[in-house]
Amino acid sequence: MNELPADDAAQALAEIQRRQQQVIDQATVPGWYWWSVGALMVVLAVGVDTRTPAALGGAVAVFVVGLLSATGFVVHSQFLQARLRNGLLDGRGVVAILGFVALIVGCTLGLAFGLRAAGVPYPATLACVVGGTAMGLGGAFLMRTLRRIMLGNRAGSTR
Amino acid sequence: MTAARFDDLIHPPTRLAIVSLLAASQWADFKFIRDSVGLSDSALSKQLATLEEAGYVEIRRIFVGKRPRTSARLTPTGRAAFEQHVAALQQMVAGSGLTIAPR
Repeated sequence: MNELPADDAAQALAEIQRRQQQVIDQATVPGWYWWSVGALMVVLAVGVDTRTPAALGGAVAVFVVGLLSATGFVVHSQFLQARLRNGLLDGRGVVAILGFVALIVGCTLGLAFGLRAAGVPYPATLACVVGGTAMGLGGAFLMRTLRRIMLGNRAGSTR
Repeated sequence: MTAARFDDLIHPPTRLAIVSLLAASQWADFKFIRDSVGLSDSALSKQLATLEEAGYVEIRRIFVGKRPRTSARLTPTGRAAFEQHVAALQQMVAGSGLTIAPR
């Protein structure tokens, strides 16, 4: 085996960690994306609560175009630069993503139906304000969780 | 457990940086590697060619519209060599009592 001073080996390992972290950070969905999706949810809900075909049609159009634009921008500017290796995100990551989606959708729908049953005006809008805020705050938390999982699964991880 | 084998081809700083980036990726865009490592186009091409000759890297050139897009990935041989190299470095560090703080 090559006789390399331990200090040099440690520096090389630190460099490997730093470079792999760079790829993982590149593939992390930015915080603004989650807040955008949350805001678009509210726009859609306003259309639903207004109950006029024109408002609903406009809200659906804004929602679809906004979601496609935001997703397209993130995919184009980040994911196409470096596609993450399979295996970095293990079962825990998949559970975290599915759990996050299920929690947001379940809580938002449950709250909307509850408010509607209670006779509160604009139930979908109010529920989506709560759901959208949870999306913005939870999205950042989800990304931190996924990043931690991926850093733990990279080659040479000390965890 | 991965066998430890120090790899002289991977270890030089520039190639170590390139291979480390590729190790976390399925495919990485040429520009992304170039900008991340801070190399010129020609310098990166030269390093990738060396790694490709060794069978460690596969280069893919596709056209997106009319623009060529070059990306690279580690081959299974390259990935195995990288993991063995990391294991060798870890052995050297472990033998000395040094630690690498997780970030």
